[in-house]
Amino acid sequence: MRSLSPALASLANVFRIPMSLTPVRPAVSRVCHETLSRQSAPTTAAVQTAPFSSTSTLAKRKGGGPQVDKRITLIRYFLYHPLTPRPLRFSRNRFLRHWTIHRAWQLFQAQQRKKQELELQRQYQSMQAACEELRTGAGDGGKLFRVSMNKKGVFTDLFPIEYARFQTESPAAEGWNYEWKRPEKKY
Amino acid sequence: MAAREPSRYLARTLPRAIAPSARPQTLACRRNASDDAPARRLSNHLAELETESSLATPLPADTVKSFNPVAAAKSRRAQLPRSRYQFRPPKYDRGPLHPHQPPPPSDPSSRVFVPGPFSLPRVQQTYDAAIASDILTLCYVHNPPGFTPPPKAPRLREWDDSSPYHKNRPLRGPRGGDVLRLLRKPIKFNSIPELERITIHSYVKQAAQENSGWLHVAGMAVQAISNKRVETFKSRASVSTWSIAPGRDTVAVKAELRGEDMYHFFGKLVDVVLPRLKDWPGVKGTSGDSSGNITFGLEPEQVALFPEIEVNYDMYPPKMIPGCHITIHTSAQADKDARLLLSAMGVPFHGKIVN
Repeated sequence: MRSLSPALASLANVFRIPMSLTPVRPAVSRVCHETLSRQSAPTTAAVQTAPFSSTSTLAKRKGGGPQVDKRITLIRYFLYHPLTPRPLRFSRNRFLRHWTIHRAWQLFQAQQRKKQELELQRQYQSMQAACEELRTGAGDGGKLFRVSMNKKGVFTDLFPIEYARFQTESPAAEGWNYEWKRPEKKY
Repeated sequence: MAAREPSRYLARTLPRAIAPSARPQTLACRRNASDDAPARRLSNHLAELETESSLATPLPADTVKSFNPVAAAKSRRAQLPRSRYQFRPPKYDRGPLHPHQPPPPSDPSSRVFVPGPFSLPRVQQTYDAAIASDILTLCYVHNPPGFTPPPKAPRLREWDDSSPYHKNRPLRGPRGGDVLRLLRKPIKFNSIPELERITIHSYVKQAAQENSGWLHVAGMAVQAISNKRVETFKSRASVSTWSIAPGRDTVAVKAELRGEDMYHFFGKLVDVVLPRLKDWPGVKGTSGDSSGNITFGLEPEQVALFPEIEVNYDMYPPKMIPGCHITIHTSAQADKDARLLLSAMGVPFHGKIVN
């Protein structure tokens, strides 16, 4: 038996992966090695000078039979391997621990969602208040308000592509580009 | 064991009562009058307890000799049931009236339990932090207080009673076709469009013409880029030029992504794959099913740009890597909202924008 770290050994135990020297399901590297090495078998048979040949007559006659790409064989092997772990079975204490953590996580997520939604609602209402102020209290007869409500190009020009930069751990190397202008559309 | 329980409890309790607590009772400068109340006072119950342990009583020697729990358990004719209840979920769902019901999916003993999520994807974080509020601001339409929009005409029209045959007819469909389109509600803080799910679909016609290896490689490639087990589908259409018969040939694979998987896939698509496509103007502006779902296709050499396939490129037969259609389902009810969302998330659009 290979010496595995205790964490790996317990994982193997959980997923019922045999750790003995003759595993039921051979290791990945072994499978790959065997399959790829079998590729060179016909060439050695051709070199063979002895009168005896292990090639079946039918395969010889039909031009060696269907040649399947070894990579496809490997893909089939890994696509249909049966190693699906059984459902987890917890004892009483571990189940309670899991349940507690699960409930706490659900609660935390619900709070996060609620917080996010309340923040959006707050932004929406302050937008409402600002627009109402602009409409009635700006003293320009509502011109600014009408300009601000103009939706021209929102749904046709869309967001500039430079806007779509997903958050990163650290800031960008060049920071903010003040010279940026919306580029001309080519298409 | 049971006889020892009280003494163990006592042994644990006693030092705790005797040990100096975080709030020293005697040295405290501030004392309240209520401290002397019988309920607050450190009770004298401990003093009433016997300090002698009953375990100190010596047992008779023959009892000690005959005490062998292991042998007693082995000599039992039938073993006792296991101390822990091992629940097995039913293998098949036999309907809501069956007494043996499967546990909820969040239960780890459930057969559909999926642990996780194990990460907070960047796409999701960015959406929550920036994109949602920006779309809300961009789409804001102000209605003065007290304003009620005028009622719209009904979507299903009445028949004009010009003919007696109009009586009891079902209502007419909308003008310009019989399709009743989704109602577009104004975008408010609780209806900002977001990603719902992503479908990756690949139709491999060679799976019917040549051999199943094409389908297997396509399934493996889609599985690799999506982190989801694929489903296979038989053809429903008859394409005689490709020798495809309906119901006979399995020709398509599909993976449906939700939640964490979806965000990771979208992040890879936008950050890694789309910027490297050569001469790709963007998603066509006419794409979309007019209810907020946008579809575009990737060629085989573009699918090969996904990092999962690229690092392992030699293990796929190069000509068999499939192209695929990617459908992005959003919670928007109209294509223009979906396009606004996708453009904010980094999918470029080109050509005439058709809503």
